[in-house]
Amino acid sequence: MTNSTDNGTESADDQPARTPPPAQPNYDNAFDAIVVGAGLAGSAAAITMANEDLDVLMIERGAYPGAKNVFGGVMYTPTIRDLVGMDGAPIERYVGQRRYAMLTEEDEVSASMNIGDWHEEPHNDSFTVLRGEFDEWFAEQAVEAGATLITETTVTDLIRENGYIVGVKTDRPDGDVRAPIVVLAEGGNSLVSEGADLKAAPDRKDVAVAVKEVVEFPGDSDEIIEDRFRLGDEDGAAYHYFGEGAAGKSFGGGFIYTNDDTVSVGLAYRIEDSISQGINPEKRLNEFKSHPAVAPLFKDARTVEYTAKTIPEGGADAMPDLVHDGALLVGDTAGLVLNNGVHLEGTNMAVESGYHAGKAVVEAFNSIPATERTAGAASGAATARADGGMVIPSSHLQSYPDRLEESFVVKNLEHYEWLIHRVTEDKELLFEELPEALADAAAEYFAIDRQPKQVHGERAKERVLGTLGGLRGLVKLGWRYRKLVR
Amino acid sequence: MPEVDVDEYKDIWVFIEEHAGEVAPVSWELLAEAKQLMDEKPDDEELVALVIGSDVDDVAEEAIARGADRVLVADDPIFEPYRADPYGKQFRELVAERKPDIALIGGTTTGRDFAGRVAVPTHAGLTADCTQLGIDDEGHLEAGRPAFGGNVVATIKCEAHRPQMATIRPGVFEPLDRDENREGEIEHVDVAVEEDETVTEVLEREVGDTADITDADRIVAAGGGVEGDLSPVERLAEALDAEVAASRKAVDEGWIQHARQVGQTGKTVRPELYVAVGISGAVQHLEGMNDSDVVVAINNDPNAPIFDHADYGIVGDLFEVCDELVAAFEDADDPQEVLA
Amino acid sequence: MTDNWTVVVGIKQVPDEDDVTIDPDTGTLNRAEAAAILNPPDRNALEAALQLKDEVGAEVIAFTMGPPTATPVLDLAVALGCDDAALISDMAFAGSDTWPTSLTLAYATEYFDADVGIFGEETTDSSTGQVPPGIAAHLDWAQLTYVEDLDPRPEDDQLVATRDVEGGHEVVAADLPVIVAVGYGDNEPRPAGLHRKLYAETEFEPIELDAEELGIDPDEVGLDASPTQVGGMDTADPVEREQKVVDSVEDLAAAIAEEGVV
Repeated sequence: MTNSTDNGTESADDQPARTPPPAQPNYDNAFDAIVVGAGLAGSAAAITMANEDLDVLMIERGAYPGAKNVFGGVMYTPTIRDLVGMDGAPIERYVGQRRYAMLTEEDEVSASMNIGDWHEEPHNDSFTVLRGEFDEWFAEQAVEAGATLITETTVTDLIRENGYIVGVKTDRPDGDVRAPIVVLAEGGNSLVSEGADLKAAPDRKDVAVAVKEVVEFPGDSDEIIEDRFRLGDEDGAAYHYFGEGAAGKSFGGGFIYTNDDTVSVGLAYRIEDSISQGINPEKRLNEFKSHPAVAPLFKDARTVEYTAKTIPEGGADAMPDLVHDGALLVGDTAGLVLNNGVHLEGTNMAVESGYHAGKAVVEAFNSIPATERTAGAASGAATARADGGMVIPSSHLQSYPDRLEESFVVKNLEHYEWLIHRVTEDKELLFEELPEALADAAAEYFAIDRQPKQVHGERAKERVLGTLGGLRGLVKLGWRYRKLVR
Repeated sequence: MPEVDVDEYKDIWVFIEEHAGEVAPVSWELLAEAKQLMDEKPDDEELVALVIGSDVDDVAEEAIARGADRVLVADDPIFEPYRADPYGKQFRELVAERKPDIALIGGTTTGRDFAGRVAVPTHAGLTADCTQLGIDDEGHLEAGRPAFGGNVVATIKCEAHRPQMATIRPGVFEPLDRDENREGEIEHVDVAVEEDETVTEVLEREVGDTADITDADRIVAAGGGVEGDLSPVERLAEALDAEVAASRKAVDEGWIQHARQVGQTGKTVRPELYVAVGISGAVQHLEGMNDSDVVVAINNDPNAPIFDHADYGIVGDLFEVCDELVAAFEDADDPQEVLA
Repeated sequence: MTDNWTVVVGIKQVPDEDDVTIDPDTGTLNRAEAAAILNPPDRNALEAALQLKDEVGAEVIAFTMGPPTATPVLDLAVALGCDDAALISDMAFAGSDTWPTSLTLAYATEYFDADVGIFGEETTDSSTGQVPPGIAAHLDWAQLTYVEDLDPRPEDDQLVATRDVEGGHEVVAADLPVIVAVGYGDNEPRPAGLHRKLYAETEFEPIELDAEELGIDPDEVGLDASPTQVGGMDTADPVEREQKVVDSVEDLAAAIAEEGVV
């Protein structure tokens, strides 16, 4: 059967003979870089490298990217917007409403904001998302840029030769694969990086536990959510709580985020507090949800998901070395999480770090003359490899940590570094005494009886100042935290 | 497609499965159901039992006592033990010669093994794993079978082809009691197979050492919750005069043999009483026992799905609950005493 | 026959049962969201075939009868170790019941000059289990169903199988060529090797066969060639359960006794 085309050259019989599968396919050094983990940091690095025509292999242990992610949460998307645009990104709601509340066991004192600008594009680049869908979409952008993604495969260790990292080991049979660069984007549980001595196991106090439930409402769940939280059909709310009524007597807090037809509610607090005080995360979460000011939001709610995760919290001081001979660390693995009770941010920094790491890898490759690539040695590198693969020393990758330091990532971490120290020092005051004082003061100030307003006002003021140590105490506290508004 | 004159085909045939003289219970269940279907058939048609085996005269007689009008017997050592190719060939030859309208086979490993060997060369319509049978106004067989994990019942018809064949799930229909006074005709037919034509040989056959839980009236099943210790389940089974069964988890962990597994990858059971001990209630397990008359669940997780699919449940430590239940039933000579 | 056996494995893409949810309010099934996966019993079939490859150096070719969207199951087969894989696809096959399906697969089995054809015991979406015996009948080959274990004996041109039957097991020897249906869950499927998985998911293109290439007359397949038709589909009423959770074992024992089942 022939087709009659203009040239009459092509016919079914002229199609090239098909090559059957090779007996033993081998992909060692077929890729320029291996990215461990297809979460936000990994995909960002992969997109950046693939955009510049590097061959990238992403190895993800979940059944799909995002399967293994546990997340609050609100995603901050300026870098994602710059990298791939937000068209088609699966977001739930944009954040149109924020609320910060202090909870004692029975009281709530809060400040709520609903900013007009947030309701206009680009919505302050703040969205609630479901990570399974979002990460899958983001990884797909990497695949569309030319990267290769394999899932259900866990990287178990790094392969080292002469001090260089030259590939990874996985849990599959015949599971070693080599490449000149390995980007470690493993997330908070960075077992490979720790196992390979690229970073120390986190100090107990530097890690937080987060527990989260996703709930839905019977019937038209989205409409019920819009009623309860006073929303339209596209905007959403992000509520943050701290104090004893939230995460108990520990350094941490609670959160509520509205998705399209579900609500995420959870707690995050320091792991050392959880162990030393015998806090049961599930019980604590139930108590938070049962708080008189919180419970009405969850009437009739049905739990559809329950998850827990650890979040690195250490700040700028706890960051490991970001580059090694043949490898880079990005995202949560690199400790790039900001959690100071007021801001919870990890995703934005993950993407940013992946981007900068990817750029550094591209520059490293571009700086090596083509002749030296196949010969097996990067310029300045110590050894050529027996298998013909290339090695890249950390010196060639230095632009990554340099750029990161200039970026908001490290700047924010450092800026709030001291805040974490401060808050730890003032923990009891801030998480227990002050919320109680404010609540008592509010109750006092707003008490309706036959006494003059002035009397109540005085008592309220006394209640707060008494806790703070008088007016001087108040001034001192303001001074301690001046950097917040510097 | 070969044209077939459906009017030429008459009678309902039921295959009587026997091994070494022992008849599979599903055969009598099928015969009873077929007898009901005969009510919708013209009076001149017969209910015919098909017996293929070696030394099977008494089986043929029992078939009459259980409801058959006629029994066709192919009796030869070549048919013992069972093999798909000689059984298939014999059945096929008989079908071609006698033109049955409907042919029913029990859905056992044997029945499902050779039914296709008959249906394919005769271009018959074969519906497998049926749980319902009926005849519509035009006289066509309506075979109902579960689909999509049992949540949907599909009705299959075969209007233009004959015979209309179906394999039927064991344990669904009720057998008729023997009526020694029933009369019918036993006809020996020519054996259509030679040994040198066969392509398989049974080297070994060991049955009876493993239980057949599909017959049990009461079952106590162990799940992942027993954590390797089957003794509470075994004791409870003894106290209730029940068979011991298990979920896939227990079998995968090696705590009990595969023959006792209930569920999608195990057996389907329909006992009067099914006690699920430490079983979470996954859909794949439910599929195997959801037609039990009374389901009791014992689990320490109040959110376990099994409670939605049970008539009675208790949240607690299965080791304690089982022991207490055993005490309650053992002490009573008459179970009704428990109510006092 | 060549020195090494040629083994074909028939596999099928089905909706993932775990994703099929039941709406708690109406009791109806929701299949639309279900992902498409390899029919789970076919995993055992592939494993049995690959064990034959390990033991006697058989060449293993997987095939699937389905639309072009079914190729992921072929990628998986190659990733696991199959030497090659084929998509059997043709509009003419649409609406086939087990008769024309087993006919098509019989033609495919012969096309590859197979000595052994291995299939899963049944599919999780149709559950008839009739296709493997149907294929054996079309080809007039020996058949071995409900197989737990295979013992290849190339020197005798035989395949010996342990069959799982009610109340026990059988060991049956079959003369080649033979069709095998492997029992669901009866072996431990191996994971795919890393490099084969990479190859299968990035570069592998299956052989494509249509009715004409297999030598099948379109009148023999498809809806019109199917002796059985689906007369109706009714949602089975969900089994009504009392759902009574009691507080004490005494109450439980009483409930059981009252039901009269002991």
